[in-house]
Amino acid sequence: MSFSVLLIKILEGMFVAGWAGSVIVLVLTGIEDVGTLLDTEDEASR
Amino acid sequence: MSSTSNAPTGSNRVRIVVATSVMLTFISYWRAAAIILNDLGSSAFYAGGIAEQAIGKSAPWFVLGVMLFAFAVRAVYVESCSMFVRGGVYRVVKEALGGTLAKLSVSALMFDYILTGPVSGVSAGQYIAGLINDTISIADAHGWIPSAIHHLFHGTPQVGVNGTAVVFAVAVTLYFWWENIKGIEESSEKALWVMQITTVMVVMLLGWSFFTLFKVGGHLPPFPTLANIHYSSESLGFWKHSSLPHTFAILGLIIGFGHSVLAMSGEESLAQVYRELAHPKLKNLKRTAIVIGIYSFVFTGLVSLLAVMLIPDDVRMKVYSDNLIAGLAMNMVGPQVLRLAFRAFVVVVGFLILSGAVNTAIVGSNGVLNRVSEDGVLADWFRRPHKKYGTTYRIINLIVGLQLFTIIVSWGNIYTLGEAYAFGVVWSFVFKTISMLVLRYRYKGERNWKVPPNLHIFGVEIPIGLASIAMVLLSTAIVNLFTKSVATVSGLIFSVVFFAIFSFSEKVNRRKHAHDAAQMQEQFQLQLAESVERETVGIRPGNVLVPVRDYNTLNHLKWVLEHTDTHEQDVVVMTARISQFGSAAYGLSSEQMFSDYEQTLFTRAVSVAESFGKKISLLVVPARDSWSAIAQTAHNLDSSGVVTGLSSKMTTAEQAFALGSAWEAIPEPKRQFVLQIVQPDGIVDTFRIGPHTPTMKNEDVVLLHRLWLNVTREPGLENIHHHDILTQALTRFARDYGAHEHEQIVKELLRHGTEAGPLPVRRIADQIPTVQPAPARPDRDDTSGDPEL
Repeated sequence: MSFSVLLIKILEGMFVAGWAGSVIVLVLTGIEDVGTLLDTEDEASR
Repeated sequence: MSSTSNAPTGSNRVRIVVATSVMLTFISYWRAAAIILNDLGSSAFYAGGIAEQAIGKSAPWFVLGVMLFAFAVRAVYVESCSMFVRGGVYRVVKEALGGTLAKLSVSALMFDYILTGPVSGVSAGQYIAGLINDTISIADAHGWIPSAIHHLFHGTPQVGVNGTAVVFAVAVTLYFWWENIKGIEESSEKALWVMQITTVMVVMLLGWSFFTLFKVGGHLPPFPTLANIHYSSESLGFWKHSSLPHTFAILGLIIGFGHSVLAMSGEESLAQVYRELAHPKLKNLKRTAIVIGIYSFVFTGLVSLLAVMLIPDDVRMKVYSDNLIAGLAMNMVGPQVLRLAFRAFVVVVGFLILSGAVNTAIVGSNGVLNRVSEDGVLADWFRRPHKKYGTTYRIINLIVGLQLFTIIVSWGNIYTLGEAYAFGVVWSFVFKTISMLVLRYRYKGERNWKVPPNLHIFGVEIPIGLASIAMVLLSTAIVNLFTKSVATVSGLIFSVVFFAIFSFSEKVNRRKHAHDAAQMQEQFQLQLAESVERETVGIRPGNVLVPVRDYNTLNHLKWVLEHTDTHEQDVVVMTARISQFGSAAYGLSSEQMFSDYEQTLFTRAVSVAESFGKKISLLVVPARDSWSAIAQTAHNLDSSGVVTGLSSKMTTAEQAFALGSAWEAIPEPKRQFVLQIVQPDGIVDTFRIGPHTPTMKNEDVVLLHRLWLNVTREPGLENIHHHDILTQALTRFARDYGAHEHEQIVKELLRHGTEAGPLPVRRIADQIPTVQPAPARPDRDDTSGDPEL
């Protein structure tokens, strides 16, 4: 396996794993965001 | 609550309180979102076109993917802001990785900022040129172009799109260069207004697009598989002749993602506006992040998708690649004139938002360079303030010079600009996210929020979310190095040159600063304070505040010292350091707050005070605008009076109005004060700031008295007072003003204010029957019988 191919495999692995983790981030922060939006307490005036 | 540094005591040096926090008018998350979207939203005008030019028709999926991923990147910014109030790239990287990498990261950020201007200006120019050409073509099709002109141009007259875009971009850049040299005061109001108009356009665009889809149908773009990604000759860069991008499916996705990543440029603004967010800050930051996330996903993401679905393939990239939204407008269902009118609206909105982004680029770059210069990594020569305007004009000149160079070298090629732009965007994110990862282990201070999820194994935290985001960004940035040859070469040259300048300047400055600091400390003793408090400045209530800016015009200070017994009343001389939105997150160290200019200014002020043998207190405050700074400082210091000189740009009445408006913005409870404006000829105009008894004209007093005489003749109203008449009159005025007679009242006031002079009080008074004075019965308000109010 050449260096280029190895590098690409590593980059692909990082990208896929990163996206998988990022989807979890999106889901968790999305749930939190719903709570933030629904919480009107202390809402600053426009 | 103020926190002061431990300043040495027992010194003969003049003490100067340097407030280190910008006197901000805190803004709501809606306004904060508007400021960020002025930068982030502008990419919708060019990101989709650039991505499709690079990777083909499946580009909208990548743009949507980037906009989705942008939610995760925003989470990184929320965490950094929960740690540092000024949680931008430079601060975070410096904290985590040290000065060298911070300099490198800031070089990438500068590349990002400097390219924001050209890419936005050129894009706006492309939209304008496209509109001009299409309008001429339509006119020509209707036979409205005279044949002589037709012959002259050997066909339908057309403007050169790239040339026009360059001229426009240069003009806009020069305009904002001059505005920044003068030190424009930014307002969130303007940003909100631009976003309101943009929102109208977005709603119309989406509504009309979906209606068109409903009427004529459409197909989703091909899904992003290796077979559907069609690389252009330029999109593979150093891998142009390699088979790798055509072999590895996921590599194709990374390449596509990398070519679309510029769609999320502008995230850094989130860190910059954080300082200005109203309480509760973190919650409002999250709300801001949600608003900008949803807005940019809908605007940038959906517009890219709809463009591919609605604009026919044969014209989309050929005609509208550089003005995709205009192409969308022209391919809706409906009469041509309506579509052309909507396209003109798109161009106006594009002009507003993209021009705003040009300004943001200059302001942001100036802020970043000012911030790094605080640490002595930029020669003092750059920071020398403009003689008249006090702005860091040499830094602004450098930035604008680089931007103009970029515009001319690119010659309006938005694709090349966008590709290069992505280099700065992605690498500044990489530095930021990796630094945040490092800080998970190194930073022990307060942290109110963390990017989820986080696992704990044997007491060691594994930041899975943060690491995941870092991996996506790093893999994309590395692949971009291979596929964006122009960006890689230009970005690296730029970053290395800036890094070299920073490193060289730092060495030169280190020695010089030590000398200067020693010299300055012989004269002034700086006391840092988080906020302006009377106790910190060490003065009594009822003091006189004297704002100063130009050391050549200190006549008002002399006037104050002539008329004030400083044993009885303290005199505070203050100067405001104006900080713009982009620089609010930066530029707040004592060195920057108290530059050579302030040193000269206060040296002169102290000299004036010494000539009178009177004591003055000195204060520097950072602020968004000078009037807010004066009003807030007067409020915080319990000042009874503010004395200022005559502005070169405003009349005394305008100055009073500006200060009054700033005073109105201060939350209750607040103290009223007197404003005195000392003119060069020695005439002093006095105004009362805040609610106060107005000065009444004699005819008004006569009218009031006549009314009172008449009313008191009514049975049962014998005990009515003058103030009762006024109360009743004002109550009726308020009711009428708020209801059906609003327009009439406004008209009369306008007439009064512009042409007719005083309101026709005499005429009204004449209509009231004159009555014989009532038997001597002095009004209780007025023991003299003369209704002076």
